[in-house]
Amino acid sequence: MFKDLLATELYPTNWCAGCGIGQIAIQLAKVMDELGLDHTNSTLVSGVGCTGMLSQFFNVDGTYTLHGRTLPFAEAVKKVNPELEVIVVSGDGDIASIGGNHLIHVSRRNANLTVICNSNQVYGLTGGQAGPTTPKGTKTTSTPAGSPFDPVNIQGLMMANAKYFYARTTIYHQTHFRNCIKEAIAWPGFAFIDLICNCIENNGRRLGFNSAYEMLQYYRETYKKAPDGADKLEPHEIGIIKKG
Amino acid sequence: MRHLMLGCEAIVEGALKAGASFYAGYPISPATEILVLISEYASKHPEFKFIQSEDEIAAANAIMGASLAGAKSFTATSGPGFTLMQEAIGFGHMVEAPTVLVNVQRPGPATSMPTMPAQQDIIQTHYGSAGDYYPIAFYPNSVEECYIYAIKAFNAAEESLSPVILLADGFIGHLSEVVDINAIDVEVTPRSRPPLGTGKRFFTGLAHDEHNKVQTANAEIYKAWLNKVKKRHEQVAANYVYYEYRQNRSSDTLIIAYGFISRVVLPLASQFALFRPIRIFPVLGDELREHAKDYKNIVVIEANDGQYASLVEREIHSDVISVPLQGGRMNLERARQGLSEKLGRKID
Repeated sequence: MFKDLLATELYPTNWCAGCGIGQIAIQLAKVMDELGLDHTNSTLVSGVGCTGMLSQFFNVDGTYTLHGRTLPFAEAVKKVNPELEVIVVSGDGDIASIGGNHLIHVSRRNANLTVICNSNQVYGLTGGQAGPTTPKGTKTTSTPAGSPFDPVNIQGLMMANAKYFYARTTIYHQTHFRNCIKEAIAWPGFAFIDLICNCIENNGRRLGFNSAYEMLQYYRETYKKAPDGADKLEPHEIGIIKKG
Repeated sequence: MRHLMLGCEAIVEGALKAGASFYAGYPISPATEILVLISEYASKHPEFKFIQSEDEIAAANAIMGASLAGAKSFTATSGPGFTLMQEAIGFGHMVEAPTVLVNVQRPGPATSMPTMPAQQDIIQTHYGSAGDYYPIAFYPNSVEECYIYAIKAFNAAEESLSPVILLADGFIGHLSEVVDINAIDVEVTPRSRPPLGTGKRFFTGLAHDEHNKVQTANAEIYKAWLNKVKKRHEQVAANYVYYEYRQNRSSDTLIIAYGFISRVVLPLASQFALFRPIRIFPVLGDELREHAKDYKNIVVIEANDGQYASLVEREIHSDVISVPLQGGRMNLERARQGLSEKLGRKID
């Protein structure tokens, strides 16, 4: 049972009602259960931020690293124990902003990691500041006139490497998300999942959504599957591009 | 067999003798020899894992990951890199990751004099990371001691479950001396923690209770945790009381010097008493008090502006004369000159 992988005795979690991270935990637990991953053969690494708290709610060894340092930490864990399934789950601020240099180099070294990046487009834990994936023009608590910059292009960063695995999916598309996790775990190198996920309280409401449900409906209507064989994902496409 | 060996080389040999199997680092003078030597070793011994990191932040976090994954791990750097490693050192204390960080010191601040020796990271070694923590640090002054204290640093790390600092400087790190490391016998402490992938534990930089459950608003649990860690470090450090003392009954002055400066001032032993701390942290309070009481003047000669002197003053509760030797090029004459100025008499 996937629930055996979750430390439900610690529930309720400290995530807001309507937060998407709980679903990340459930979908990941389902995949791990299906693949036979447990505390004897896998470990979770997460960083600072709302998403970073995820590893404490799993019944496997988990590490809540320093802010931004999940990737060099996880790379070393995998290097020391290549048999261990090392899964990184963290937010876009952690992975692509403060940890941006590590993202460039750990992916370039093609460390055999599965990375689930919660691209919720905001720093939720500190109250809704602009993050590296915040779309241009978005009002946040640190960009009252709208974010002046285009978001970081993680797909482009990954594709700059000789070998890459880049998946984009949303928390609404649960089957697709689980398939992305499965493929990422099977991928013999650095596998990055860019997960569009809802932060209703510190981002969604400011954008005009009344509920998490409305955000999920928005993902359903906006994100479409990329055509088979696409070599690059367009802005509102979900899918996997890879080069081994 | 006797070999001509570099200080940095002896540190590598000591680490391997201690059972190190992981290194992550970033090139920096005057510590680069350690990175180069260990990369060569790793290329011939695939069981030894090596990462040349993108920066010192990554390197220090990597050795924490490697440690929790089950490897004895270490890194080496110099002042500016050591500054970048500070956040990971605090993390290592919080998640109790036995690791060794070597700092081959050069002058600071910032880039300063990359190929010159200095001792300007003494305070940074203890107080560089955020919060209260109780690091153990050793500072050898010869190639043979580099080997010995590299092993002891790994032992102390396993026993204290924390990052231990091995200090050196551009002089000691690049010093060539003849040693026979095979004739040196230092006991090795085995790995102390079950590796990641064997339990359902949670390692976190957040405050936590004894079951590793996050506790970010409970003062009692925080204090209990901190006291436990502090006590453990005091108990471990008590097994590592290393210093050298040369009594001089005809002198009214005790000179305290460590690392390469202790080599520079050694000829003054005929005129002064000398005290050389090898365990720099925790500061050897009892031993300093015991020996300082016999002398009128307590002088610390060091390659910084009185960093260790301020710590000695705090321990012995009386004034300490600081003789700073700065700028890299040290010699006995400059030490004599500084002493003359501070003691108000000519020193031969």
